[in-house]
Amino acid sequence: MASELIEHNRLRSWLRHKGRMYMVLYALLLPTFLGMALFNYYPKFETIQKSFYIWDGSSIEEFSGLKNYIDIFTADPQFLNTFKLAGILLVANLFKMWPCIIIAIVLHRIRSERWRYIYRVLFVIPMVIPSLVWLLIWKSFYDPTSGILNRLLNTVGLMGVLQWLDTAMPQLATTLSPVNNTVGSIFGNIWGMGAWSLLVLASMGGAAAIRRRVPWLVILSVAFLCANAFVSNGEQIMLSIFGLFHGGVGIAVALAMGVVLSRSYAGESALKWIGGLGVAATVILIFTTMIWTSPTNAFNTGMPAWLGHSKLVIPAIIFWGFPWVGTIGVLIYLAGLQGISGDVYEAGELDGVGPIRKMFSLELPLIMTQVRINLIFMTIATLNQYGMFLLLLGPHGGPDNKGLVPGLYMYRKAFIDQQMGYACALGMVMFALILCITIFYQKYVKVEK
Amino acid sequence: MPLRVSKKKEAIKHAMLWFVLLLAFFPLLLMFVVSFKNNDQFMNNPWWFDAVSDWQWENWAKAWGIVSNYIANSVVVAVAAVTLCLVMAVPTAYVMARYKFPGKGVLYYALVGSMFLPGTAATLVTMFMLIRSLGLVNNLLALILVGSVGGQIVSVFILRQFIEDIPKELFESARIDGAGHFGQIRNIVLPMSGSVLGTLAIMQFLGSWNSLMLPLLVLRDDELWTIPVGLMALDGEYVKQWGDMMAGFSIAALPLVILFFFTMRFFVKGLTAGAVKG
Repeated sequence: MASELIEHNRLRSWLRHKGRMYMVLYALLLPTFLGMALFNYYPKFETIQKSFYIWDGSSIEEFSGLKNYIDIFTADPQFLNTFKLAGILLVANLFKMWPCIIIAIVLHRIRSERWRYIYRVLFVIPMVIPSLVWLLIWKSFYDPTSGILNRLLNTVGLMGVLQWLDTAMPQLATTLSPVNNTVGSIFGNIWGMGAWSLLVLASMGGAAAIRRRVPWLVILSVAFLCANAFVSNGEQIMLSIFGLFHGGVGIAVALAMGVVLSRSYAGESALKWIGGLGVAATVILIFTTMIWTSPTNAFNTGMPAWLGHSKLVIPAIIFWGFPWVGTIGVLIYLAGLQGISGDVYEAGELDGVGPIRKMFSLELPLIMTQVRINLIFMTIATLNQYGMFLLLLGPHGGPDNKGLVPGLYMYRKAFIDQQMGYACALGMVMFALILCITIFYQKYVKVEK
Repeated sequence: MPLRVSKKKEAIKHAMLWFVLLLAFFPLLLMFVVSFKNNDQFMNNPWWFDAVSDWQWENWAKAWGIVSNYIANSVVVAVAAVTLCLVMAVPTAYVMARYKFPGKGVLYYALVGSMFLPGTAATLVTMFMLIRSLGLVNNLLALILVGSVGGQIVSVFILRQFIEDIPKELFESARIDGAGHFGQIRNIVLPMSGSVLGTLAIMQFLGSWNSLMLPLLVLRDDELWTIPVGLMALDGEYVKQWGDMMAGFSIAALPLVILFFFTMRFFVKGLTAGAVKG
């Protein structure tokens, strides 16, 4: 009895002691979590709640159920259009990632430790300049009358080249339109050709490889099917049963080619050629027949308003920040490269591998982790960014709303049109999209060691 | 067997890097050149400096009169936000790294998980409403609070990993000597994590320094503007005085560049480390 009582008391005092210890620990955690709750979770959850309301930020606030969401997908073509621009910028940013990677690799290959340090310092300096200063300097470059860009183009004579291209490119597009029609009757449209070529490339390596790349193949197949199945009759877009069938056959052909031809060496290289040529032809056709299809007439005066002309806004935004060496990117890749041991290099050196081969076979695979991180951040930033567009083009996205990115549209709905509830619903759609993309990258952009 | 360094190959690499650096720094050079010109001089020759006697020093004087106030505001906000952020994050990271307690896992994932819940432009709406209902519109305190909370996730994440690597014996012996939690933090964590704290401070400082949208919405009075808001206003003036504007940009860029040259080694190391974790 007595010993049990003592045991009991001991337990109680131990519990009390523990309890007091926990209280102290929770007290230490309190500031962080209080702050997070107030300034991080609360605004985010508030966004979810308010997305079901009609809300103008002050007086009107009424529950409206799913109305905002239904409106987004049925009555708001402009929002869906903003994603077209986001898609274009995303593709452009995929190319704009490369200078960073290449510069980091070149920097890493410099033998002298001292010079490597100096370069690293030099590449850090731009980071300490406020980003807005860069933005505004570049904005001044684009100024039509006194901007550096136009003066440079005029001095070097490139303005004349642009004027010539302004008539030549649309002409080329018309000349090539028969080719386009042929492509259309075989692959649905240009994008279909690209998807099909990639499908051929992805099914290279036979059945085993196909099983491994199922998610990619599904995406490409869906893209190819869409290219075939949806036909426009000039006014509206219709689903065509024949197109669906046509697309299905195309997919089957591509996969069958992959399985059969991969059995022999010659077949495999044939696949490589077919796919590669298809992709190349797609890229060339997109550039020649889909972008510069009608004269812009912007260069005749020699002073094009890069940010004020509806056809020049997107090119200007893409060229923005040339040579695209974002310094944080260089540092991230460098950190990844530092993990490569000298032995690997010496082995490569002795094998007589050329500098470009070395990049693809040695350095790039080793920094895939960093590339993936950057890819995720870049995608999120591209979908989410709007500050730059707001500053350059105003809340309506410049001439003809050409520069209206999703984030800017959200900002406009909230702060200009005072439809804050609707803006919150837009935010939720965007959030869901970003989450999906992040998960996709995490799962399927594999790091193969 | 040491490999022979090919002079030619090295020269190519250096040339590539210098070429890219030249292009990357070109806007800064131009900013500096134009900051000494008036509009006529700018129209005549935007590319290079005029004779020193023609330099428009008053551009800088005028710009300083405008921008110095913005710099002061930005410094106040950034320093306060960074300090507050670390004051909050260090105890949290210490507790997370050293102790087991009920709900630890949930709390930690609630904290780190929000890294994957990016705010969109819509979050800005609710954030602004929150600030308004707290009565912090047109108040630098709003930026300080939001900034310091925004830095919590990364800071706790990195500091926790660092504190976990500090040998347990150090903490034990300090406790036997009678040091409480704050004593252990002050005597062990702070002295040992100097470089990590520096790195975090730099990252947060740059974030606050560049922050634009929230200050733009929150700050109404000219005297409270931070650098980005002020520069935007400078750029938006109807008749552009390019020289004044560029001088203003230069002045806004200078404080951190100067700071950078004094703490270069630390800065480069810190940012590289930050990049690894990031």
